[in-house]
Amino acid sequence: MWQIIKNEWLYLRRTRMLVGLSIGFVMVFLFSIILGNYQNQKELKASETAKKHLREQWESIEAMNPHSAAHYGTYVFKPSNLLSSLDEGVSSVTGNMLRVEGHVQNEMVHSEASQMQAISRFGKLKSSLLLKFIVPLLLIFLAFNAVSSEKQSGRLKLLVLQGASPIRIVLAKTVAVWLYGVLLLALVVATYSLLNIQNLSGDTLFRSLMVFVSYALYYFIITGLTVFFSARWQNSTVALTSMLGIWMFWSVFLPSVLLSSVEKWHPLPSRNEFKAAMREDRSKGIDGHNPADERGKELEKEVMAEYGVDSLYKLPINYDGIRMQADEEYGNQVWDKHFGNMRTVFTQQKQSMQIAGLFNPFISLQNASMGFAATDNMHHQEFLLQVETYRREFIKILNDKHAYGGSKTGDWGWKANNEFYKSVPDFDYQPTALGAIFHHYLLDVGLLLLWFILTLSLLFYGTRKMQLV
Amino acid sequence: MNWFTICVYEWKHFAHSPFKIVALVLFIVAGVYALHNGANLYNRQMSEIESINKKAEEDYQETLVYYEKGQKGPEDRPWIDVTTPFWAVWYSPIYHFKSPSPAIVYNIGQAEQYGYYKRVTFQSSPYDTDMAEEIANPERLQSGTLDFSFVMLYLMPLLLLIWLYNIKGAEADAGFLPLIYAQTGSKTPWLLARVTFYSVLLLFVLFGLMVYGALLTNVFKGSTDAFLQIFFMASAYLFLWIFAFTFILFRGKSSIGNTLKMVGTWLLFAFIIPAAVHQWVSLQHPANLMTEFIDAQRDEREQLFKQPDSVFQARLNALFPEILNSPVAQDSTKMNLAMNRSGAALTNDLNKKSFNTIEKSNSAKNDLIRSYNWFNPVTFFQNKLNAFSGTHYHDYQKYRKEIQSMIDLQVKALVLDTWGAVKVDKEKYLNYKQNLTP
Repeated sequence: MWQIIKNEWLYLRRTRMLVGLSIGFVMVFLFSIILGNYQNQKELKASETAKKHLREQWESIEAMNPHSAAHYGTYVFKPSNLLSSLDEGVSSVTGNMLRVEGHVQNEMVHSEASQMQAISRFGKLKSSLLLKFIVPLLLIFLAFNAVSSEKQSGRLKLLVLQGASPIRIVLAKTVAVWLYGVLLLALVVATYSLLNIQNLSGDTLFRSLMVFVSYALYYFIITGLTVFFSARWQNSTVALTSMLGIWMFWSVFLPSVLLSSVEKWHPLPSRNEFKAAMREDRSKGIDGHNPADERGKELEKEVMAEYGVDSLYKLPINYDGIRMQADEEYGNQVWDKHFGNMRTVFTQQKQSMQIAGLFNPFISLQNASMGFAATDNMHHQEFLLQVETYRREFIKILNDKHAYGGSKTGDWGWKANNEFYKSVPDFDYQPTALGAIFHHYLLDVGLLLLWFILTLSLLFYGTRKMQLV
Repeated sequence: MNWFTICVYEWKHFAHSPFKIVALVLFIVAGVYALHNGANLYNRQMSEIESINKKAEEDYQETLVYYEKGQKGPEDRPWIDVTTPFWAVWYSPIYHFKSPSPAIVYNIGQAEQYGYYKRVTFQSSPYDTDMAEEIANPERLQSGTLDFSFVMLYLMPLLLLIWLYNIKGAEADAGFLPLIYAQTGSKTPWLLARVTFYSVLLLFVLFGLMVYGALLTNVFKGSTDAFLQIFFMASAYLFLWIFAFTFILFRGKSSIGNTLKMVGTWLLFAFIIPAAVHQWVSLQHPANLMTEFIDAQRDEREQLFKQPDSVFQARLNALFPEILNSPVAQDSTKMNLAMNRSGAALTNDLNKKSFNTIEKSNSAKNDLIRSYNWFNPVTFFQNKLNAFSGTHYHDYQKYRKEIQSMIDLQVKALVLDTWGAVKVDKEKYLNYKQNLTP
């Protein structure tokens, strides 16, 4: 078998067109990696500059009432991660700025896609675009006549007479073409790692490894199926057109149909419904800005009883801060309910998409590629959760200062000093470790493995009775 | 053999090619599915607009009751007084919508990247967070909805490829090409007649699908121009691909070679070039992090309100010289409150200045994208379709400008009526509704 693989590679090396194509391909790959990497660095720098600028503004607050500061708020910019230059995922459509303020959990706005007219339906020239769409096509072109040409020239019969079993020939042809794809894949991952060697972490390496494994499995599926068609059908044109049809169906047609369909199976509320439902729930709680609010009276009694006084103005603390925090905590329950429901729908949609990998391994590859590159919706939701956790801590610090910082109830003119504002921690994004969420991607990897086994079985059992001429 | 005979033979060939028929059926199924996606979005947006309008009318009637009963506002909010211009304008539920064109059935374009309704107040801005797009799965947004333009721009060339790939190549592979030439006299009319057959067939299919789409959203009721423009663009796009593929067939010598070249051409124009342009544009003009807007909304606003009253007043006078001789300007006891309530005018002015930077940056990106259209036809056609279906970036920019004009109107009414010491009654409130709504 090794000999057949070596012969195949020798043949591929002697094919001038393929050598030319490979050189061209490698150039495009290097170009996409370098550009992607450069863009990533540029984005990181811009996001750090913006973050620094806003932090400086926050730290330069001389004196301000803590609740005014909660309205003044801050902004969080979503940093791009190292692997986003490999697969951009949802980054260009999710927005890049999030306002952190009191009373409300905001959403990310001002996506890159909304800042210009339409350009590319399939995203930027990232390595993932080439690896997902173009390399499989190249593998199809290399494999579609791998066996049929041998049949037509009579070499297949000769090889069998020389002692090679048909299944070995088919497997060797598959592996030879597959290795070509794996080599291109390895080139991408290796170049990428070299360019970022100083920033590589265990998690990035683990993620890169999983990206490599996912693509390698998919390439085997594509190559194996093409060789299978080539072995089963006499005419190599039929093998080529069948595989091209499958490629189009899997990569272009089905993902769009499925993504549109899962949104219908698991519908999300409209923004208006979502906001109205939150407003409705929110109106049932304490209104921090309305001292006459009936629901706040209970809290007033509790606090006064706790301090043993009969008037809010006799409290040694500022009751306004406590009311604001109670308002915030009630609001948090509302946000948790509604944003939680939305996350549940996202999870259901994701699961449906993952199950669709049963019919289309490209879907599993797409999920795995974005997921392992930390640029899918799940990672985006993780980021939003971190920001929301920060928002709650941030507002609590301000409300606590308002309540216990030395002012009295009703003293809205009281201001916390610059030292306090400097002491409020900034948002520090902790990228989600793959190990913590790996189980979410088991189905994608499992289905790719299942397709790998199916393809292998097809090659073993489907080509047993193939005609030798 | 004349063209008609060649076409009849081609029809027989087509009718006996299950692969080609399946491709056509799939294309039609995809087209119908895509048209329904477009129609669903149209219906969803229309029904959302209707429900918002209904709610706005309810709110409006609720405020009218305050005037009728002589109340100043909701009982649990004693600080509200709807007889003052500030609260009367605030309590005017004014919305602005970007109503979808019925032609959205053909092309969703950038419609899902922007909001299409907004409650406009004097404190609003066209870049507020409530201008965000509808809630949607980002993974779906990223790959785009399967709309009819996707079918046209990406699947149509593939259908054409499947139909044309073995023209001449199959005969050459089988070795009877010289026989064909002997029968037809020349390869050009023979090949052109065969290609024409498929082109006409595809044009009919496209037209049929578009008419079906028109029935879903009543395109012929007021958007016939859009229908004709989109059909014209679809035809032009089809002929572009026919030209490219015919050239390949003329020069090609085998089915396999032709297939490889055709797929290569499709990949180049549909994937590689738009993606490379996208990458390049992003490098030249990275995503705007809106820091100018944030500064205007936050820091500059803070600075503004820290200014001494005299500076604040001078800036307000510069924006609205009419208030210099207004009744409130003559009464120093009322000036402070009027100034506080006019703050929105100055923040609106700050916001507008920051938008200029944002819009300049976006405009530079768009110019750069357009400058590559000569070798990036798919993007060119996509943006043309977006323009015809009212879902282009510029349509949403126009929508933002309309919102800004409405904010300006509200600000003007707020300032002039506040400084004019206008007492708002039911009639004045009704006037606000009429004059502040586009």
